[in-house]
Amino acid sequence: MRETIVGPFAGKFVGHAVRRVEDPRLLTGEGRYVDDVQLSGMLHAAFVRSPHAHAHIRNIEVAAARRSPGVVDIITGAEMETLVHPFIGMLALKGLYDPRFYALSSKRVRHVGDPVAIVIAESRAQAEDAIELVEVSYETIEAVANASDALDSRKPPLWDNRSNVLFDFANTYGEVDAAFAGADRVISHQFKEQRVSNQPMETRGIVVEIDPKSSAITVHAATQSAHMLKWVLALLSDRASIPASIKTLAINRDRVTRFAKSAKAILTAKPELKEPSPMMPAMVKQFRAEPSRFVDLQRAMLGLLAKSDNDRPEVLARDIGGAFGTKGSASREDLAVYAAARKLGRSVKWIEDRNEHLMGGGHSRDEIVDISMAVRNDGTLLGMKVSLTLDQGAYPAFPFGGSMFSQIIRVMFPGPYRVPVMQFNGKVVATNKGTLVAYRGPWAVETFVRERMFDMVARELGITAAEVRLRNIVTMAELPTPMITGPMLDVRMSAHRTLVDAIAIADYDNWPAAQLAARANGKILGLGIATFCEAAPGPPDFFEHSIPGSGALAGIEPAKIVLEADGMVAVITQQVPHGQGHETTLAQVAADQLGIPIEAIRVRYGDTKITPFAMMGTGGSRSAAMAGGVVTFAARELKERIVDIAADLMEASREDIVIEAGNVHVAGVPARGITLADIAVEARRRDQNAAPGEAIRVAQEFDGGEGGWTQATHACWVEVDLETGQVAIPRYVVVEDCGEIINPAIVDGQIRGGIAQGIGQVLYEKITYDDAGQFQTGTFMDYLIPTACEIPDIEIHHIETPSEIEANYRGVGEGGMVVAPAALTNAIENALAHLGVRISEPYLPPSKILELAGVIQTARSTAR
Amino acid sequence: MKISISVNGGAQEHDVEPRTLLVQYLREDCGLTGTKVGCDTSSCGACTVLFEGESVKSCTMLAAQADGGSVTTIEGLAAADGTLHPVQQAFHDKHGLQCGYCTAGMVMAAVGFLDENPTPSERDVREGLEGNLCRCTGYHNIVEAVLAAAETGAVSGGSK
Repeated sequence: MRETIVGPFAGKFVGHAVRRVEDPRLLTGEGRYVDDVQLSGMLHAAFVRSPHAHAHIRNIEVAAARRSPGVVDIITGAEMETLVHPFIGMLALKGLYDPRFYALSSKRVRHVGDPVAIVIAESRAQAEDAIELVEVSYETIEAVANASDALDSRKPPLWDNRSNVLFDFANTYGEVDAAFAGADRVISHQFKEQRVSNQPMETRGIVVEIDPKSSAITVHAATQSAHMLKWVLALLSDRASIPASIKTLAINRDRVTRFAKSAKAILTAKPELKEPSPMMPAMVKQFRAEPSRFVDLQRAMLGLLAKSDNDRPEVLARDIGGAFGTKGSASREDLAVYAAARKLGRSVKWIEDRNEHLMGGGHSRDEIVDISMAVRNDGTLLGMKVSLTLDQGAYPAFPFGGSMFSQIIRVMFPGPYRVPVMQFNGKVVATNKGTLVAYRGPWAVETFVRERMFDMVARELGITAAEVRLRNIVTMAELPTPMITGPMLDVRMSAHRTLVDAIAIADYDNWPAAQLAARANGKILGLGIATFCEAAPGPPDFFEHSIPGSGALAGIEPAKIVLEADGMVAVITQQVPHGQGHETTLAQVAADQLGIPIEAIRVRYGDTKITPFAMMGTGGSRSAAMAGGVVTFAARELKERIVDIAADLMEASREDIVIEAGNVHVAGVPARGITLADIAVEARRRDQNAAPGEAIRVAQEFDGGEGGWTQATHACWVEVDLETGQVAIPRYVVVEDCGEIINPAIVDGQIRGGIAQGIGQVLYEKITYDDAGQFQTGTFMDYLIPTACEIPDIEIHHIETPSEIEANYRGVGEGGMVVAPAALTNAIENALAHLGVRISEPYLPPSKILELAGVIQTARSTAR
Repeated sequence: MKISISVNGGAQEHDVEPRTLLVQYLREDCGLTGTKVGCDTSSCGACTVLFEGESVKSCTMLAAQADGGSVTTIEGLAAADGTLHPVQQAFHDKHGLQCGYCTAGMVMAAVGFLDENPTPSERDVREGLEGNLCRCTGYHNIVEAVLAAAETGAVSGGSK
């Protein structure tokens, strides 16, 4: 499959591999990433971090460091607690204890890399020099090094003398015991997924710019959501007491009035928000159990209300060097740097180094799943029992971390299969490890476990991996049908088709013979398949099934589209692209609606001063459907407005107005057309209130409409070398359906990039801690990212299920990464099955392959 | 210490701390922020530039070591009229970049590589770029781009 990349294109843009708008600046070094922001008089930050997994802080001595050349200030954890509010988890779920914690730790450290002080100096080198002079006395505590430690009540608690099980939940769907009692077989297995890390090539970073004259704050950030970061920083900074905030409000009554006004406007626009949130009972329970939690939250909220506009930051995100989920959080470091800049009234830059990023920049996965499948002898699935333990490390990601992922894992577990009944038990535990963040399909363990388990069931029953899937997958004829966990699988959910096609492309039926013939020639070959569907963005009620009460806020995608005074069109989005190419794809969508070339469109993003408010930013494979949808509809409205004016100007009926390649004319007489610049002049003449530089402004919100799923089947072939333990991937096939494709080159790029990360996880990547919680993978020489030599050619076949739905675009950001570990692991087990091998973890470096195959003795046990 | 380096064909003279890395020097003293820092341990190649026409990882070299020499960075690759270098153009044509953070290093490494091996096989390209990590693309289109650039026959070794 070789895509053709086309250049400027006069006809329809959607569906074509249009060359990217963002490329020229990125290819010439003109991109502007956060580390490229250099301000005069800017200070630099570096963090003093814990070398211990778990310890009390007995003393911090900073006098010598303060005297170090270039040092401007050192803020320890104790002082930081006077500057900022604690992070307070907003997720109210029954049975969840969400710890509160500060930007810096003052009394206790909970993982290697836990920040205890921030050093501000004239240069980064001077800040790092000073770190060496900060003396911290620690008294170590026994580490909770992994999930089994966390489940062991003899181990010390991380938080407030509570159990290290922070969240314990159970959901039962249907008559599970009856289904299990009536089964021919119950097959059980325990799977683990190792801790891995996103590791974008750009680490995290932030520059807090304080205008020396106005003291206005601009936060330059590598973030997936500019508005989220803005409001988290505004909420948690400038800690004031409740009486102080009330006093401020008494003096500045306009701030109360303004808040009341905007609250009223929101409630008028979204009356559903007046209903008590389903989260309320759990929230009340949380507050009853911990009244100080309520006080902390009120104090932060009042402080936010009392702030003047000038005391809130604007966030500016420009080019971002990848994220894959890790920049979807507001980090403790972000808040610490912000607080330091506010305290000093000076601009401060912090760029994380790779060692810090590996330690604390965001880890992911790290689950143990026990699963039982009740089946008939023919492979029909009668029910599942699933028990998840998710190790979210010490500090939950903010605003969303492991607890939220656990709920998506629960909802997604059935995938595109008929699962008549299901029992799902989950635990989220605290350990002395780095923070767990979203990583390209943070629920992906459901696909890995389910797809591995189907292979194990097939082996037990003596049927093929294809057979067991075909027997249980939801066929197109059964659609629409709800998953047992609630979300609707709509008529476009074509996982069955992808499976059938992949089986045909792989010549699956002839595989056993081919495999045997190869083995006779000394070649150990395997073929694995895996199928999934992902909410991209999912049906309208998807969020409600995951986190009841979250749907109203999560579901909305706003966009503005503006005909500017010079005849250019601006698409203004809350999306914050970081590699996905929205400047190109959203321009393609708008160009087709408007009938103008993409060169006439500028996509604007990342600047909270101009972009419409939404907390979601870019993530969750949502942009194609959500942003592609809202831009479609907003552009259509703009076109209507343009046509109104054109009809008047050209004294023609509206129906006869055509816009082609930017030429606005009466049908049949393109030679007598006018331009959008002409329309803009007339629009400005008619609307004296148009903003400077603008002619027509359209703002829309889109709730996702029908939403929908992306689905795929991957087939992976491997050749295993039993002398070296190396796994080669001679062929890899993807059959996928993401609806109408906006830009095939970008879609294929997302799929291939995701698969590369999935292959990386299985063959190379593991974040390791020893049994004492000591961190062991601090460089790219310890944590191996695959290179060009390790990633095979990937063959992609697209299906598009026809639909009447407009803007039938669905996301593909995460799928490659979600499915690849299952497909590759299944292939490796298939290759080694004749040796009796069963694989429980998608971490199969050469040593593990040789160990599984019995070539070498079991290696020393490596800690999780 | 005082150093003078020809950067993208122009003479640069600065007084730097002896410990200044070449990449820091380029980014902070010369203001050429196109060259990126990815890992600090010369594993990722995001900082690759040409020194005396050969690709080097500029986080592994002191600015002082480049004293008296010539350096080409991504900013110096396109022609004066803005025409992209064939490798830059090929990355554009083949969608060889997503987030763009590895791109400067990847392009410079490819220029250095093609100078040594103007007619590479696909395997040659993959091995030639082994020192450069990309987390977005899965490398497929990067390899395609380098092969396409080689096919133009127009690739010469930068500042050599």
